[in-house]
Amino acid sequence: MQASEQQLRIWMVSGLGGDAVAHTTLLRVLMPVLRQFFRRRMPGQGDAIEDLVQETLIAVHNRRATYDPARPFTGWLFAIARYKMIDQFRANGRFCTIEGMEDILASEGFAEASDARADVDRLLGGLSPKQEAMIRATRIEGLSVTEAAARAQIGESDVKISVHRGLRLLAERVKDSLR
Amino acid sequence: MNSDDLINQLVHDFRPVPRHALSWRLIAGIALGAVISFAVVLRLGFRPDLWIAMHSFAFWMKWIYTTSLGIGAVAATIKLARPDTPPMGWLWVLALPVLGLAAISMFELANTPTSQWLEMWLSKSWKVCSSLVFLLALPIFGGLLWSFRKLAPTRLRAAGATAGLTAGAWGATIYCLHCPEVSAIFVLTWYTLGIGAASLVGALAGPRLLRW
Repeated sequence: MQASEQQLRIWMVSGLGGDAVAHTTLLRVLMPVLRQFFRRRMPGQGDAIEDLVQETLIAVHNRRATYDPARPFTGWLFAIARYKMIDQFRANGRFCTIEGMEDILASEGFAEASDARADVDRLLGGLSPKQEAMIRATRIEGLSVTEAAARAQIGESDVKISVHRGLRLLAERVKDSLR
Repeated sequence: MNSDDLINQLVHDFRPVPRHALSWRLIAGIALGAVISFAVVLRLGFRPDLWIAMHSFAFWMKWIYTTSLGIGAVAATIKLARPDTPPMGWLWVLALPVLGLAAISMFELANTPTSQWLEMWLSKSWKVCSSLVFLLALPIFGGLLWSFRKLAPTRLRAAGATAGLTAGAWGATIYCLHCPEVSAIFVLTWYTLGIGAASLVGALAGPRLLRW
């Protein structure tokens, strides 16, 4: 069983406010979360994982002032965990086998790919259903305008306009979110 | 060690964290170093006409230049002291003080006979100015290293660079109390060189010194 982002954040914020019980609970709950995080990225390295879990817990505790309550807790936590993991790779560079590296790259890539997919879903979700469907068809699935028009049973110019307007909206939205 | 024991040990001396603790810790580190830099300038001697100079445009031009760089650099360092650094696209605003001073320099040069340009640019203290700015940056950089012991930068090179920039800009601010130069082109060249050197050293040393 894993606590939600919301619950973790509540414990963290209470801990920063001086609630020792909440803080202790947080550290305890984080152990399995971190173990899973490292296990997925460093399969078959039990001892190293326990060390990293402990190091990350120490950093979470000692450097808790760097958490900004306005930002997601897990983003902060995993940024620390990732830093500790990379630091450990650097320190033990010569013991890191090529096969191990491949697993790391694969699982890192998987995380990024699923993040990217979530981003695409979120962005496209804000468009009208027709715009979303047409952008998916022509830009993600790779259909031609004619094929997309035939599948959706609408005119080709309708497809082009939907894609064009949808992309423009997306661009604006992305620009706003970067500001 | 058992992880449960570890947690018990960690929370043994548990204390609440005040709001904005991160910013305060960085500011405390800067202040700590600035006290030492200030003592050095005290030893070098304030410029004799400091009181009168404080009513002049040139003095405030220098101070506004160095403090605006300093404030921007502190803001950047605060962001880079967090592990989940937010996008740093706004960093270009740090170019504004430099561009502003460059504009003033152009204006000054345009209103000065060409024959005096070299004198204006080098003046009396160009040989020591950049080195002194760099020297005065060192204690502040040291103070920032102390601050970072409780912080969690993950982009060490960038954090080192902005820490160096912070130290350089505030070191230069303190140096203004000693330095009698008045021309914008002088400040633009030699102050910026000293501040830039501090920033460069910060970027080079960051990955080693800020590791945690």
